[in-house]
Amino acid sequence: MAMLKTILGNLLRPPRTRDPADMPEVPPVYRGALAHDAARCTACGTCAFVCAPKAITFTQEPGVSVSWHFFIGQCSFCGLCAQNCPTRAISLQADAPGATNSAAGDGLRLESVIRLQPCTRCGAAHVPLPDATIEALWGVEEAERGYCPECRRRAASEKLRAAFVPAEEAHHDR
Amino acid sequence: MPYSFPLGPYHPALEEPFKVKVQCRGEVIDSATVEVGFSFRGIELLAQKRNWVEVITLIERVCGICSNTHAMTFCMAAETIAGIEVPKRAAHIRTIIAELERLHSHLLWAGVGAEDIGFHSLFMEVFTLRELVMDTLEAISGNRVNYGMNCIGGVHRDIPDPKRHLPALDTLSKGLAEIVIPTFTENPTALTRTRGVGRLTREQAVEWAVVGPVARASGLDIDVRKDQPYLSYADLGFESVVRPEGDVLARVVVRALEMVESIRLIREALLSLPAGPLRATQGVPEIPSGEATIRTEAPRGEAFYYVASEGGATPARVKIRTPSFVNIPAIEAMVVGQPLADLSIIQASVDPCISCTDR
Repeated sequence: MAMLKTILGNLLRPPRTRDPADMPEVPPVYRGALAHDAARCTACGTCAFVCAPKAITFTQEPGVSVSWHFFIGQCSFCGLCAQNCPTRAISLQADAPGATNSAAGDGLRLESVIRLQPCTRCGAAHVPLPDATIEALWGVEEAERGYCPECRRRAASEKLRAAFVPAEEAHHDR
Repeated sequence: MPYSFPLGPYHPALEEPFKVKVQCRGEVIDSATVEVGFSFRGIELLAQKRNWVEVITLIERVCGICSNTHAMTFCMAAETIAGIEVPKRAAHIRTIIAELERLHSHLLWAGVGAEDIGFHSLFMEVFTLRELVMDTLEAISGNRVNYGMNCIGGVHRDIPDPKRHLPALDTLSKGLAEIVIPTFTENPTALTRTRGVGRLTREQAVEWAVVGPVARASGLDIDVRKDQPYLSYADLGFESVVRPEGDVLARVVVRALEMVESIRLIREALLSLPAGPLRATQGVPEIPSGEATIRTEAPRGEAFYYVASEGGATPARVKIRTPSFVNIPAIEAMVVGQPLADLSIIQASVDPCISCTDR
């Protein structure tokens, strides 16, 4: 009897199978395909440090460029690289990564090249910092934007000394 | 004439490889030997070669079902060594994820168990309910498995709108009360396959040192959440579920009632989510030298972690003892004198997790 009731009830009900379109919303915290923005990357290596399966590696061509490499086959999508990136150069997209995008294997490996720039003062090749990072860290004026880390340190300490030295001289005179 | 019969490692009942060699006399099982070790990955050794950030991602992969338990227990051990106290909000979020994980693990088990006794429509019903839990976990953590919620000192992600998840819990408790529990405890087909089958007495349970729902179904009232409350269990209050019968039906009932208790815990934790920070520390954690042992209640029973640090970039030793490791051998005691056809439901009733066991 109970079964008959179930059968009759089911005749009137719509199917319970979910449509492909009836997908739950992709949550904002979803960890999908990886994207890397070379303009924001400072090649600090934090992403490679926190990557347990070693999907992220860096290679360098001395004096020319630093390259960021990513192999999707090793990625576990833990999201730690994006969470720990100090300049938000890595982001995880809302779309799911393809298992294999083409026969050539495009999209399985990402590479982005960070070109080194010569220092505007001494000429040493260095990784250029994004403007927002420079402002947050050094707050330097326009002329010092293109300095290498060494020259930036020197410029900063010179400024510091210039601020202190007159006071020191006044002290000696007395 | 007695004969021996190998079941596994490729399995009719479970997704994971383990082997039971049974000695039969006709239809009846005389004795059984369990063999594990088919999915050994050497995680304990690998853990010594990964830094304190990477190792959490690694440890989370000990188990595909109770992944959060492992990462959480490891983080608790590291926090104990470093003397870090987890903020209240983080402890609540960890509790919510741990209980959601228990729900989805028990529902998965109920589905597999229903399938093992040939009850496919019940399997479908159970997995429809499980999908609700999976959607909730995905909405909170961004992933259906390997949530990546834990870090040393707290959690990575917040639950910004806790009340949003309450309707799913209501649907779930309605489904449990109206479909899953009545079908398992009243349906004659389910009862004949489970009642009195695969009995493990209280004395045997002590002798084989079983933990978790298997122990509680044999009348042993042990549960780490009650005996040594961690996270927010002391604040939320906790009732353990114990049955004295020790058969497959008792294990089903213990798990079913535990799900009801989990739903209550999740609801209370969501409603009483305290304000505050998510992490006690920032940046890469520094763990001084020291050692810690931590016990937590995983869905399958007590998980035990021993973590030692020598103050370096990596842990010096991570010892993992999972609940299935002690529950699986008890299958040998349960199957004696049982018909061969009941072997699959008896092993499934332990809810063996082989990747946990082998690590």
